[in-house]
Amino acid sequence: MPKSMPDAATMLKAAIKYLEEELMPTLEGYHRFQTRVTVNVLSTVGRELELRDGQAQSERARLVELVGHEGDAEALSRELAERIRSGAIALDDPALRAHVRQSLADALAINNPKWVTR
Amino acid sequence: MSSNDFADRLSIAVARHIGSPGTVHDLQRLTGGANKTTWSFDAIVDGARQPFILQLASTRVIDESNPVAAASPHLTAEEDARLMIAAVKANVPAPRVRAILEPADGLGAGYVTERVAGETLATRILREERYASARASMATQCGTILAAIHRIPLSEVPFLKLLEPAEHVAVQRMIADYHGFRLPALELGLRWATEHAPKKVRRTVVHGDFRAGNFIVGEDGIRCVLDWEIGQSGDPMQDLGWVCVKTWRFGGKKPVGGFGTREDLFAAYEKAGGYSVDPGHVRFWEAHGSVKWAIGCLSLGTRGVEENGIERCAIGRRIEEPLWDFLNLIEGRD
Repeated sequence: MPKSMPDAATMLKAAIKYLEEELMPTLEGYHRFQTRVTVNVLSTVGRELELRDGQAQSERARLVELVGHEGDAEALSRELAERIRSGAIALDDPALRAHVRQSLADALAINNPKWVTR
Repeated sequence: MSSNDFADRLSIAVARHIGSPGTVHDLQRLTGGANKTTWSFDAIVDGARQPFILQLASTRVIDESNPVAAASPHLTAEEDARLMIAAVKANVPAPRVRAILEPADGLGAGYVTERVAGETLATRILREERYASARASMATQCGTILAAIHRIPLSEVPFLKLLEPAEHVAVQRMIADYHGFRLPALELGLRWATEHAPKKVRRTVVHGDFRAGNFIVGEDGIRCVLDWEIGQSGDPMQDLGWVCVKTWRFGGKKPVGGFGTREDLFAAYEKAGGYSVDPGHVRFWEAHGSVKWAIGCLSLGTRGVEENGIERCAIGRRIEEPLWDFLNLIEGRD
């Protein structure tokens, strides 16, 4: 499929800019609040578009290492979750803790980057 | 029911339960949650205009076949009111109940309380200069209030459901399973909570949602503690941990609700006749509370666009915040 221009990230930025800089100042109360939430949600989508491919690669690599075989990231993650639940892996396993911490940090980099620093 | 009809019925109910003539003024809907709707109004009673709050239980039928709804504690409107009456009697700053609605009132299940003036928005309480001296005393106040709540005689509120620490964890496990959540971070939290749940605990009244956002605050401090509808009985330390969960600090730096220190909270609690506090025990409930809120984010945020709306979508994406806090808590990095 030929890549259409402008790309998704650029269009998203234009939409956010309109909502935040032009629409929001004209609103108050309920709609101002909802528009603020909408801007935040769209900004999250923007960060996800930018970061997810790189994060997914390294997440899968960590999971293959932890679980001990190949597979797609979602299946491996479910398998790891089952192992934690059943007690097959120790809760204080350093590789497990490092993986969980990195996965949460990656997700927060998309969903709420400020949370990690505060 | 038309709005005039509604106001008329409310007037008649006020006259019957509180005082005549009960004429209603300035009736405003404040919030409509899944479980209840809150209205603010004034009424003429015995020659004076008085401020009131009306809480009506939602008419939505609770699906008893849903195991999550059945397992989570939730009081009926009448029980909720009876708990607040017992709390006021024990010197807790809870809303003063003036009427428990009856079928003859034609308004559905609910109650009327006196309306307390003040601010509930935690972000304003944490940031505005006029609340500076309130903030300085609120952790101490929380300790004193919690000691009073935990002294309410259980015999006055026999309808409260007993939940042992292990049962709390089991409820969260059940909710996660019901929704099919399978995330390593969440499983880590649930297993940690299962393994660390305190075994020998006291049994007292537990508020269940004692936190910033559920306090009416004035420049003099906490004036009223709201939202008693998930009141239960069990380990009193649960309330001390929940008020410290980082989500309820609303961006504030200090551990108790963003406004105070654990030392002030614990000292005031013990001084006011509360039980002796083991900080590690309270920490369990803070960690458990983080896992519980993570599951809450997922449950609220994954119901699909029709039921969700934009705000709920945003809540769904907050799941990692409490799990991150949980990991820091158990690793001593908080």
